[in-house]
Order: sequence, then C-alpha cells, then structure tokens
Amino acid sequence: MSKRPLEGIRVADFSWFGAGPIGTQTLCTFGAEVIRVESEAKIDSLRTVQPFALNEDGSFKTGYNVSGYFNNFNAGKLSLQLNLDLPKGQELAYRLIEKSDVFVTNFTPRVIDKWNLRYEQLKEINPRLIAVYAPMQGLEGPHRDFLGFGGVLTPVTGVSHMSGFPHRPPIGVGTHYPDYVVNPGHSVTAVLAALRYRNRTGKGQCIELPQIESVVNVLGTAVLEYLANGDNPTRTGNRSPVAAPHGAFRCADDPESKDSPDRWVAIACKSDAEWQALCKAIGDPGAANDPRFATFEQRKANEDELEALVSSWTAGKRAEDVAAALQAAGVPAGVVQNAQDMLERDEHMKARGYYVYLDHPETGRSAYDGPAFRLSETPGYLAAPAPLLGEHTMDVCERILGLDMDQIADLLAEGVLL
Amino acid sequence: MTDRALEGLRVVEFCDELGSYCGRLLADLGAEVIKVEPPGGGIERNSPPFYKSAEPGPDTSLAFWVHNTSKKSVVLDLETSEGQQLARKLALTADVVLEDNPPGWLAARGLGYQDLHAEKPSLVYTSITGFGQDGPHANWKYSDIVGQAVGGVMTLAGEPADPPNMIYGNQANVCASIQAAQGTLIAVLHAEATGQGQHVDVSAQEAISMAQETAMQTWDLQKKNRVRTGERGSLPFTLPGLGVYKTKDGYATLMILAPAGADFPDLVAWMRERGMQGDLDEEPYASICQQLNMPFVTQVLSNPDSAAQMVPQLMHIHEQVAKFIATLTSVEAYEEGQRRKLLIGIVSTPQNLAENTQLRARDWYRKLEFEYLNKIIEFPGPPYRLSETPAVIQRPPRLGEHTDQVLAELRS
Repeated sequence: MSKRPLEGIRVADFSWFGAGPIGTQTLCTFGAEVIRVESEAKIDSLRTVQPFALNEDGSFKTGYNVSGYFNNFNAGKLSLQLNLDLPKGQELAYRLIEKSDVFVTNFTPRVIDKWNLRYEQLKEINPRLIAVYAPMQGLEGPHRDFLGFGGVLTPVTGVSHMSGFPHRPPIGVGTHYPDYVVNPGHSVTAVLAALRYRNRTGKGQCIELPQIESVVNVLGTAVLEYLANGDNPTRTGNRSPVAAPHGAFRCADDPESKDSPDRWVAIACKSDAEWQALCKAIGDPGAANDPRFATFEQRKANEDELEALVSSWTAGKRAEDVAAALQAAGVPAGVVQNAQDMLERDEHMKARGYYVYLDHPETGRSAYDGPAFRLSETPGYLAAPAPLLGEHTMDVCERILGLDMDQIADLLAEGVLL
Repeated sequence: MTDRALEGLRVVEFCDELGSYCGRLLADLGAEVIKVEPPGGGIERNSPPFYKSAEPGPDTSLAFWVHNTSKKSVVLDLETSEGQQLARKLALTADVVLEDNPPGWLAARGLGYQDLHAEKPSLVYTSITGFGQDGPHANWKYSDIVGQAVGGVMTLAGEPADPPNMIYGNQANVCASIQAAQGTLIAVLHAEATGQGQHVDVSAQEAISMAQETAMQTWDLQKKNRVRTGERGSLPFTLPGLGVYKTKDGYATLMILAPAGADFPDLVAWMRERGMQGDLDEEPYASICQQLNMPFVTQVLSNPDSAAQMVPQLMHIHEQVAKFIATLTSVEAYEEGQRRKLLIGIVSTPQNLAENTQLRARDWYRKLEFEYLNKIIEFPGPPYRLSETPAVIQRPPRLGEHTDQVLAELRS
C-alpha cells in the first residue's frame, strides 16, 4: 500500500457521538494516527445503541463493541481508555496532547472546563497544537449552555422549517442530518487549512466550530432572502424554483425491497430540452407542446397537472426501468434508494467499490462507508475495523505515553485506565 | 491584515452549482479562487431568488451569492479555441483546478486532468460530479434531488403517506462540495510536501451517503431497511413532550423525555406558573406525568402494549402541553424552556435565524459592501472560527469582473 498523505499526523480524539468521530475518521482514512480517548465511566452512547450485530439465532449481540452506528465512524482508530474524572487521567490526557498534532472535542463547554481541556490550557503544553472545539452553540455567548444534540440542531438551524411539504408540520428530515457530512466536513476542512498554515509558520491554533453556525451557513438562500430581501421563506416540498417537473414520482411496488416496497424515482427537468426529452421517453411527445407545459413558466403554473401526467407514466413501472429510460433520454433521474439498494442492488455503487467490508472480532465481516473522495495517487483506505473499547490502551501507554508495565499496572489498579 | 491559511494558493474553478460551494470554502480561507464562467454566466448565476432592489440578472442572484463569495470572475467562452487556449494557460498558473462538469467535458476542450497534469505534475485537479469519474452511471445526468435520491437520504425523510422528502438547500451539492474541499486540501498538503499532484474524484452520490445515519449498517447487520417514519418517528403512539408543537407564531420541537436536561414535571411546573397546568395535578394524570422519562419511552418502544391502556390519558396530557405551548412565541418556548433546562428547540424560520440571540451576540453575520448596488447586505458568516487565520468573506464577484485584470496578467 502507498504511503498516505496524512501519515505522521497524530490526532488526540476526545470527541464522541457522530460529528466529531466522523471528522477524525476522515483524517484516519488518509493516514493520520487517531487515538480515541474513551472511558467506561462516560461511555460514548453510540457504543450502546442500535443497530447491533446479530447472533446466529437472530438475537442481538451485546457489549460495547457491536454497534454498527459506532463502528462505522471509527474504523482504523486506536481506543485508549482514560478516566478524565481523576487527576491522573487528566495528566495522561495532557501527555497525549503534548505528543499530538491535532486535538478534537465536541464535549459541551461545561465538560471542557471540568476536564481542563480549554485551549489556553492546552497551548501551554503544546503551542503547535491545532485544537478543534465543536460545541452546539459555541464556546461563548448567551446560549452557550443550551442543551441539544442532532435532534434539536435540525430544527434550530432552520433545516426542519425549510424541508418537507408545506401542508405538513416541520417534522425534520428523518435523521440528524447535519451530524454526518456538514459538521464533520467543515471541521476537517478547517483542520487541513490550519495544518497548511502550521507548515508555513510553525504556529498552531484554535478552531471553533459552533455547530449552529456551520449548519446555517449551508441553508441555501433562505437566510439571505430574509437579510437581503426581507422575505421569510418556508418549505415547498420537493419542488424547485428552477426546475419542473421536480420531485419524486411513484413507481410499481417492489416486494423484494424489504420493509419498503413503495418505490419512487426522483426527476428534475432543468430546461425545456430536458422536458422535451422526458415527453419523448414517456411516449407522449405531444405533451412538450401542450400550452400548459411548453415553457418553464407554464409548467410551474400548472405543476399539479404536470406532476399528475408524469406520475401516470411512472405508475406501475419498475423504478429502475424508469430511471434508466429517462437517463437514456438525457433526463436527470434516479431511484429513491434505500440501504439495500445502496449495498446490494446499485450496480454503479458496486462497480465503484464504495463500501468496504472488514472483519471485526465481535461483529464479524461488516460494511463500512469508504472514503468519500478519491485521490488518484495517494488514496485513503480503512486500515482496520473499529477498535474494541480500550483495545489499544496498553499500546498507547507504552509506545506514545512512555509508561512501563509497572506504571501501567498501577494505573489500571487505580481505575485511571478505565 | 490577518494571516490567511490558504495564502498563496491559486485555484482556477470551472464550476456551476454543484461545486461552487467548495470554491467558496477555499476562497474564504484565503485562496485566490478564479472562477471561469461562460458568457452570460452559468445556471447558478441566473437562478432565483434575486436581490429585489435591483434588476434580476447574473449579478443579483442570491443563489449565486451564497456559494461564490470571495472569488474572482473571468468570462471565457470554452466553445471557442481562443477561450480554450486562454483557459488552459490560466489553469496552468494554478495550484488547484476545481471543476464540476460531466466526465470528459473539459478534456474535450484541452483542459482534462491528463492534459494538464502532463504539463504541470504538481497540479491538484478536483472533479466533482453526480456519480464520479467511472462506473456504469458515470455519464448519468445529475441534479441535486437525484443525488439525494440515489444517495439514500430521501427515503428516510417524510411521512409514510407522502412521497419521500428532499432536504432543502441543494444538500447533495453541498455535501459533494464539502467532501471535495477536504480531498483538495489533503492533495494540496501532499503536493506541497512532495511536488506530486493528483486527480481528486468526488461523486455526489457517495458524498451524501454517510448521511443515511444508521440505515446502511442496519441493512448490513440486520437485513432491515430503515424507512421514513414521519412526525411520530418510531413511536407507536403520541407521547407528550416529544415532537413538534405549534407555538403562537410557529413551531417548537420538544424532547423533554430525552435523557438530557430537566424532566417532565419541570415542564408541568412551568405550566402551573402560568396557570396552564389544567388537571395535570389531578389523578390519574399527576402520576403519569411523574413516569414520563426515557425508561418509559424505551418500554413503549419495546412493548407498545404495556402502555396501550394509558393512551387516552397520554393524549390528554399531550393536549394540555399543546395548549400551553400555543400560548408562547417560538423564541419564548426555546429561550425560556432552555433557561429551565428543558430540552426544547425552536423550529427556526429564516427570520428567527437572522434575529437569533446567540448568532447576534457573537457577531456571526457579516456586512458586505455591494458598491455597484450602493448597498451593504448582511450575509451568513463562515462555518468555523480559526483563531489565527479566520475566514474572511468578501462580496461575490460580478460576472466577468476580473476578466481584464486576469487576462492582462496572463499575457504579460
């Protein structure tokens, strides 16, 4: 395997849940050594929630190492158990941070204070450190200590108000969407920029990623519409101000699509040419010149009828056939895929080899998201499955923290390495 | 002058709406991003909504503005050989080429990765497309909603009775751009250390797929598909204090039964202070209110029958809570609720965000001067705060604003 571009960078990963660990996962995939600092005294909840691997009889496996939720965000990392409630635990944390290039946490400001992990403290022990803090509201300000997690962040940042159909209440998007790409991706972007700055100047720095700021920044034009125009826009379902038809259209049910037999195809016509191509593909070329639909303005003015026309064609057909026929005609279209599609039925995903299967001592062979971007000369890869809780405590203590076996034994007995 | 993290990095961008946010991230961090645009501008430049106090056009599109701050704009017609030659010359002055055209489109114009890399081996060349550079769908047509569909996130959003919902804000484009920014910067670090450039390939389908949350692992480990579950989520019936409630002027999300924060009786105490507790201090409601916590939710989820006979009472409590929340504004429900350590989130409208106490107290919004409109317009701020090299947001360029300057430099 080739040398990866971030080899030699060590990350002291004091983050948990989704957004923090996904960011350090990216660094790990491209070669950084990432040490997850964990404790059974304050377990990362993702280790304890579904989906769990199954036993042969179909019952759930138990313990801290069998959650697919946790494992998928932590492949290739090292797990060090450290109890930060004890002074000796904090001392070892400092020793690790001293020997690291990057420190990452998404603990709340209150916990950061309690464990003495403020940047002013850390830069004393390592002035070259790039320290990342990703609290929900920020490290300061009147809402600093507001409670929250992804389920609250989605409504607070406007994602809920702006998404979904207008006749429905703002129920959110079914997931803690900002946790998975937006927040971790922004924080890694900042870390990489800071590494470049440090390469040139030798200076470390503090990166704060207030999650609310990170997410509102990508809320399309909604906030700018208020700031610049005084408008207060709301959700418009699957419709678009620049394309029509634009939405998800129902196809024939598919009993092989487990638990979700209803099948849909997303379609977007961004130009009259794409609309004309769609009309040809559905065998109704006359519709292209129908005065209700001929121009974009007309299609927007008669959108209910337009959608009814498209639905009448998609109904009863296999979703995959609909998408392929439209694509063959040059119309943007794709099946609304579920995870079964993503992993097993999408020939393109398979050909690209996006998902990676790794042997894990407790879950067995299981799937992980692969690198989300591909570098032709120095590709990233998952070097190992997710670590068992504390799997690398001895290794990190000896190799990085410089402790000998007697010292480690004492620390174990004192409950520091717990 | 503050230091800039990406000082001295030149990026030549051939992007429309799919990759433009990537260019913005790099530009705000200090890279010199030169956007090459077709005559008249691309789709994003000509997309609504437009700034209302001026003529709608390529220089007044809010859709363009939000994803193109801090860049320079050069107009070149890549359908002419002169335009192609100038673009090539310009691209070879860059450290990074960033593009979001269909695979092969730039190569056909002498601007492909192979061509440029042969001449400049240290060049980082990032391609953002719907489906990536290879594979059977590489040439499929892409649009944001298609990316959200094939990336597995739409199937998780919405009411079961409705079509799957897309997430607002062109989020497949956003995810692709954010992944591309990371890939580009990793490649830049490598190029600056070794002199070796490379091709960075980003597929929007793959870029957003991590946002399936646990759906992928649920299929892999348990052979079950996660589906959209709508307002009630995975609950078999409505539980008071969990979900979206109408306020006087909008909505708030209550998650009182989640493990963090104060418990349900604290919500009732708040209602009592306002004389809105109704009969919740009376039996059987008082006892049920005491039980409403996370273990109760867990029990309901694993064995709905265990609480089935309480459903009418739970509904009644829910209605009392709804009546109370309806007397508050969304901001009151959020700020006063949080002051009481109750896990309540405002369902922010754009106006709520523009007026958000925290964002205002921290001066997050940036005033940008649009001298050609004779206006100062506030913009959302950057996603992060870097202590030594803060992101600096400058107004987006007018179409072709820097054509003369950049071409003169090329010719000299």
